[in-house]
Amino acid sequence: MKSITIDKTVKLRVFRKDPKKAAGERYDEFDVPVEEGMSVLDAVNYAVENLDSTIAVRWNCKAARCGSCAAEINSLPRLMCKTRISDLGNVITVGPMRAFPLVRDLVADVSSNFKIDRNIPEFRPRAAGKEPWIMYDADVSRSHEFRLCIECFLCQDVCHVVRDHNAKYFGPRHIVKAASLDMHPLDSADRSVMLTKQGGLGLCNVTKCCQEVCPEHISITDNAIIPEKERAADKMYDPVLMLLDRLKKPNVEKDEKDGHEHQ
Amino acid sequence: MSKRMKKMDMNINKYVPGEFLEYNPRLYAFMALIAIAMLAFFVFPVKEFMGYIDPFYSPTILILPLVGLYRLTCYAYRKDYNRHIFRHPAACPVADRMDSKARPYTGETSAIFKAENLHRYFLYAAIIILPFFFYDVYVSLTYSGAFVLRLGSVILLINAVLLTLYVFSCHSLRSLIGGRNDCFSCMKAGALRKKVYDKQSWINAHHEELAWISLLFIIFVDLFLRGLAAGMPIDFTLMVMP
Repeated sequence: MKSITIDKTVKLRVFRKDPKKAAGERYDEFDVPVEEGMSVLDAVNYAVENLDSTIAVRWNCKAARCGSCAAEINSLPRLMCKTRISDLGNVITVGPMRAFPLVRDLVADVSSNFKIDRNIPEFRPRAAGKEPWIMYDADVSRSHEFRLCIECFLCQDVCHVVRDHNAKYFGPRHIVKAASLDMHPLDSADRSVMLTKQGGLGLCNVTKCCQEVCPEHISITDNAIIPEKERAADKMYDPVLMLLDRLKKPNVEKDEKDGHEHQ
Repeated sequence: MSKRMKKMDMNINKYVPGEFLEYNPRLYAFMALIAIAMLAFFVFPVKEFMGYIDPFYSPTILILPLVGLYRLTCYAYRKDYNRHIFRHPAACPVADRMDSKARPYTGETSAIFKAENLHRYFLYAAIIILPFFFYDVYVSLTYSGAFVLRLGSVILLINAVLLTLYVFSCHSLRSLIGGRNDCFSCMKAGALRKKVYDKQSWINAHHEELAWISLLFIIFVDLFLRGLAAGMPIDFTLMVMP
């Protein structure tokens, strides 16, 4: 990202609202002196410590590992601790993630995500195979990418389906979670049909904003959502593969029985 | 105006998706381009010139709907038209997305858009069509009886290679050759399949760029042929095999 030369102070506009007290919302402006390498979180903390201690802000690791400081900076969902002032210019607007209920000021309540998570069928190990389970790098590498997720929920916040259109859609984070299990070499379940029927996978129109905002650079759309859509197409829309699957099915059942016998 | 007409006018939203009724310069520009293309293909066609076959007519213009459907259901173009034509959303920053709760949205769940799931079938068609583009290069090389390499043949070859890269970087192909398997080491020739899958994944990451470069290059080839047909001195011989 290109650096823009900035003045010695920047104007920090911070969203203010306490849903428990007043209905109205406003933006408070603060002049923050800039130091080299300063992040938006540093600027907000400067305002909290020196200008207005009543701003509510949630942060934890300051290293883009915990995902607590997710916010909308100049209307794009980003981590405050990972966004440099020098990339933004002289006026910086910070607000909470609006796809979620507001707690206060910059803090949003993301707990709905943990409820969605419970709908995804858990890891179901294949019947065949001796313990300890042996996995090869080549097989777990795909699943590993999704484990980088820090659950900041920026992808959920930027997703126009989750935010504006349909609450039925689980959202990018949860498709990634399901894909990490689906693509695991020892997992036997398939979640693509469930994601389509229950999770609203078809509502995603692959516009890739989730992939653009992911601070862990997970290829959410290319590596999780599209492969899940393709797997769902295999089972729900592709007549040839559906027929082949039906012809194969007796063998699969036999394999599973064999597996049980080995155990 | 009759009573019935009035009623129809009021319910225009029933017949035309709301997205098409909004002010959208990108949509108008796109429709204008389509109109110009239609005019060029059907009213002023240049199917072939001096042994160069126009890619739009390779092997025949009847192929165009299949190729068109392949591009229309392609994940790269889906992103583009969902962003720029339907504006769901127009951009990722919340202030610029031009999308809101007020706009109806069904994504890829409506009857028409469910057809996106058949992308793989258009991929199969595209793979069958691909060799024709290479055959056209051969035809252009041997046009005069002897083997003559002209600039136009090089352009046709680049076009064929770009189309091949575009088709083989497809997301559906990625799923087919390995994406749908969870365990490469559990299957026959797993190491090789994983290798192919990884290589394909690498070009797949460039699918969006290839989609646009290959499309623009077809248009360039078409314009090159039209230039030649108009008598422009833009082609020359590079090599003659005795």
